[in-house]
Amino acid sequence: MKFPANNLYYAAIAFLVMMDPFVMLFVGVVAGIVLFFPLSTDPLRRIPPSRFQLWPLDAAERRLLRMVSPWLNPMTWLVAGFAFWRGVSLGLGALAAALFLVGFLAPSLGLRGKGRSLGLPMLRMGPLGELIRKDLRGLVRTLDFYCALIVGGAAAAWRAAGLLPPDAFLPGTLLALLCISTCAQTLFGLDGRPGMTRYRLLPLRGWQILLAKDIAFVSVALLFTVSLAPLAGFAGALAALAAARYPAIRERRSQLRWRLQSGTSFGGALTQILAMVGAASAVHLYHPLLVLPCLVGWSISLWWGGREVERMAL
Amino acid sequence: MISCRNLTKRFGDFTAVNGISLSVERGAICACLGPNGAGKSTTVKMLTGLLAPTSGDVTVCGQRVTVDAVEVKKRLGVLPEDLGLFEDLSIDEHLLLTADVYGLPKSVAADRIEQLIHALRLAPARRTFAGRCSHGTRKKTSLAMALLPNPEALFLDEPFEAIDPVTSKAMRDILVAASKRGVTVFLTSHILPVAQEIATQFLIIREGKIVWQAQAADLTAPLEETYFELAEPPTHGDLTWLQHPGNA
Repeated sequence: MKFPANNLYYAAIAFLVMMDPFVMLFVGVVAGIVLFFPLSTDPLRRIPPSRFQLWPLDAAERRLLRMVSPWLNPMTWLVAGFAFWRGVSLGLGALAAALFLVGFLAPSLGLRGKGRSLGLPMLRMGPLGELIRKDLRGLVRTLDFYCALIVGGAAAAWRAAGLLPPDAFLPGTLLALLCISTCAQTLFGLDGRPGMTRYRLLPLRGWQILLAKDIAFVSVALLFTVSLAPLAGFAGALAALAAARYPAIRERRSQLRWRLQSGTSFGGALTQILAMVGAASAVHLYHPLLVLPCLVGWSISLWWGGREVERMAL
Repeated sequence: MISCRNLTKRFGDFTAVNGISLSVERGAICACLGPNGAGKSTTVKMLTGLLAPTSGDVTVCGQRVTVDAVEVKKRLGVLPEDLGLFEDLSIDEHLLLTADVYGLPKSVAADRIEQLIHALRLAPARRTFAGRCSHGTRKKTSLAMALLPNPEALFLDEPFEAIDPVTSKAMRDILVAASKRGVTVFLTSHILPVAQEIATQFLIIREGKIVWQAQAADLTAPLEETYFELAEPPTHGDLTWLQHPGNA
């Protein structure tokens, strides 16, 4: 079953089920809503703003549309369900509501940056330099990045204050990786059709295009895990990329900036999470050299993915 | 320099391009004309390797596009239909990206970038992200990216549409000068006077087929006349309901 969502949603549902199996009923209802209402974003965003402004609707009709449209988003129902369901604590309900509001409203809040790059001297970083810059910028413009920042930043602060026990390094690393992992499934999600055209025109091999994306992803993963278990973070990031290679290329989904990214299927997410957790745990708990099989696996995925990207071009 | 034989592209039951054969010599400017949906952009996409032909052969710069796409791409400059820009890069960064990928030395790249920014009047927006630029600015950026590596052949899909008159003139001058130095240009356009001014070779496509091709020297009538006759006659309709404003 295709159930496109962010890995954090899957993890949140898994935790809820562990708390109370009855929650599956509720999750089933939400999944049904998703199937019946594929518009899992603000439906009004699907209408070009200039066209919407030109429609001869009066203020009351526009307000009505504004009020109705969120109810086509299954997350609205989930949050509303939390509000009336005693099994969910006020804090968890408020967290879900806050996450929903940020995801739903962020695109409308003008969080688009200045629209200009900083006037810093341009560093030439080799043939892939500007592509890596673009991919890093793309990652920074996802909410996944900020979720990982909260986890990685908090962990770094606690560790600096000497409050973080060593036993927490691996779970913290896995949590930070989980936050950013969906981005590995949506490597081309923010490039849009023009971006894909440019990739096809650049005289680069497919593996080079993927390498630029992988470097950006691994850099971000390392940034958030460096204060915890960086080698495990590195291995987990490689495993996340390798496991997500197929959906990233063959099941490309266009993504929105300033939102949580959305993967393609539950199966793909589960495979990725298992690979990521397995690789990071093995490196952290057993032997650092276990990072080598991760590197080999990632290299194979890069080779295969590169060929697929080139086939995609023709 | 550019040639194709029996080039065909089918999308399901629909044949977008139907057995096109053409040849463009080195240093020529070939203007590909035709109504919307005639197959011009699909032809450009197949000539540049953006789209695989259903059948037929394409040779550009002496190499078959489908055999070694990367080698061919190194020798081409392309202004694609959707411009091919990344929303998260500024205009400067797009040009640096091109310089890096094509391996231009630092000083050469810096000089050329400054010249292109000046010639195409991109200076005011050079640090603006492409996603926030006007359509015309984005098109000029894409054209600058096509020109920067000094390609042997240029493929430009509607380069003059949505461009201000001053920049359009500069672009025409650049293309004519480049062709005199041996750069081959293949462009599509709906602006017939501009096409007539700069092109040395014309072809008109209708419903996926070439219905007319000629060298500029062989033109005996204004291009517009030939176009209306062969591509699509102008419609002389009158929407009478437009004469009563306010009646929905």
